[in-house]
Amino acid sequence: MNIFNQTGRYFALMLKVFSRPERHSIYLRQTFNEIENLGVKSVGIVAVISVFMGGIMTLQVAYNMTNPLLPNTLIGLGNRDSLILEFSSTIMALIMAGKIGSNITSEIGSMKVTEQIDSLEIMGVNSASYLIMPKIIAVVLMFPFLYILSVFFGIIGGLIVGPAVGAVSVADYINGIQYAFIPYYVTFSLIKCLVYGFLIASIAAFFGYTVEGGAFDVGAASTRAVVNTSIMILVWDLILTQLLL
Amino acid sequence: MIEIKNIYKSFEQNDVLKDISKVFNKGETNLIIGRSGSGKTVLLKSIVGLLDVDRGQIFYDDRDFTKMNHNARKKLRQEMGMVFQGGALFDSLTVEENIRFPLDMFSELSAAEKQKQVDFCLDRVNLVDANKLYPSEISGGMQKRVAIARAIVMNPKYLFCDEPNSGLDPETSMVIDELIHSITVDLQITTIINTHDMNSVMEIGDNILFISEGEMCWEGNRKDILHTGNQKLQEFVFANKQYQRIRDERIEGK
Repeated sequence: MNIFNQTGRYFALMLKVFSRPERHSIYLRQTFNEIENLGVKSVGIVAVISVFMGGIMTLQVAYNMTNPLLPNTLIGLGNRDSLILEFSSTIMALIMAGKIGSNITSEIGSMKVTEQIDSLEIMGVNSASYLIMPKIIAVVLMFPFLYILSVFFGIIGGLIVGPAVGAVSVADYINGIQYAFIPYYVTFSLIKCLVYGFLIASIAAFFGYTVEGGAFDVGAASTRAVVNTSIMILVWDLILTQLLL
Repeated sequence: MIEIKNIYKSFEQNDVLKDISKVFNKGETNLIIGRSGSGKTVLLKSIVGLLDVDRGQIFYDDRDFTKMNHNARKKLRQEMGMVFQGGALFDSLTVEENIRFPLDMFSELSAAEKQKQVDFCLDRVNLVDANKLYPSEISGGMQKRVAIARAIVMNPKYLFCDEPNSGLDPETSMVIDELIHSITVDLQITTIINTHDMNSVMEIGDNILFISEGEMCWEGNRKDILHTGNQKLQEFVFANKQYQRIRDERIEGK
C-alpha cells in the first residue's frame, strides 16, 4: 500500500509544482540559477567520468575482439555506439541521480526541516512550484547537453587510451567512430535524457519536500531518493528501449 | 481582529486541540502560553492554515478562513507575517534579500521604493549595518530581528510569532519582546505570540490564552495572572521562585 500512497503523493505534488507562477520573472531567474548550479557545475564531473568510460570501453572491446577476421575499426564503432545508446545516457543518468538528486533532496529537505518552506507558504508563495519547477526545467534542459558532452568526451577518452596502450591505431579508431553511424540512435538517447532529467529532479524533489524530522531524516531521504531514482531510470530505460528502438 | 471558534485538531487517535475559542484583538500582543507539548504550536499553525483543523472556524476580520479555497487563502496570507521559532531565513539570500523577498514576489513597487521599504524595516529592527550579511554570519538574536523585519515588510495586518525568544539570552529576549510590542501598537496589527517565556508574559501580555493538554484553561492579561486562582496556571507560572516572589510582593504585600 505504501508504494501506491507514495505514488499518489508524488503526482499530487507534481500538480502543485506545475501551477501558474506568482511572478514569472523570479521563476525565470531561479531557472537560470538552477541551470548554473545543477547543469553547468556538472560539466566537469561528466567530462572526467566520460573520458574514463570511453577509455575503458575501448579497452574492453579491444580485449574481447579475439577473432582476427574482425576489423579493428569495430573497436571505435563499439565504443561510439555503447556511449550513444547506453553509457552517456543511462549510466550518466545514474551518476547524475547521485550528484544532482542528492543535492536537490538535501537542499529542499533542509528547507523543510528548518521551516523555510512553511515560511514561503505563509507569505502566500506556492513553495512547491517556486522551489521545484525551476529545478525540473533546469535539469530537463541541461541533461541532453550533458549527454552530448559525455559522448564527445567518451570518444576522446577512447582515442587517448586505445592508441596509447596499442589496442587500436588512431586511423582505425577514427574510421570506426565514423562507420555505419545511425543518427536515430542519438535522437533515441536524447528522448531518454529528457525523461531521465525529469525523473532525477522530480523524484529527488519529492523526497526532499516530504521529509519530516531533522538532519538525520534529510540524509535518509537523500539515500531513498537516489535509490528510487536509479530504479526508475532503469525501468524507463527498459520501457523506452522497447518502445523506440 | 482574529477570532477562533471551537477549534478541534487531532493527529490519528491523539486529540491535540479540544474546543478552543478565543478573540485576538487588534493593536494588542496576544499570547498563547502553555507547557511544551500543550498544543501551542499546533494551534498557531492551525490559525495560519499550515495545518487544517478538524472542526471549528477561524475568522480574520469576519472572513472565514476555514471556508476559503486555496487561492483565497493565498491572497489572505499576503496580509500575514510570521516569525518562526528558528527564524526560517533563506540561507542562500543575504539579510537584505531575505527582507525584500516578499516585495519582489508580490508588490508592484519600483526598485527604489522596495529598497526604501527594506531600509525602513532594517532600521526598525536596528540592523542597517548587517544588510549584506548572510543568515549564517549573524547571531541568533539578529536572525530573529531579520525574521521580524521580513514579517513586517509587506505591512501585514496580522503578525504571528512562534517562540520568538527561544534560544536567546534574557537581554536579547527583552529587545525582541519590546520590538514586537512596539510594532504591534505602532502599526495597529493583530499579533499572536506563542511562548512559554514568563518574562514575555509579564512584559507584553495584553491578552493571554493559557492552554493545557490541548484545552483552553484560562484567559486574561498579565495583571490577572498575579491574581489567578487557576491551579494549572499557578503551577505553570509560579514554578519559578522569582515569580512567586513577585506575586507575593505585589499581591500579598509580603
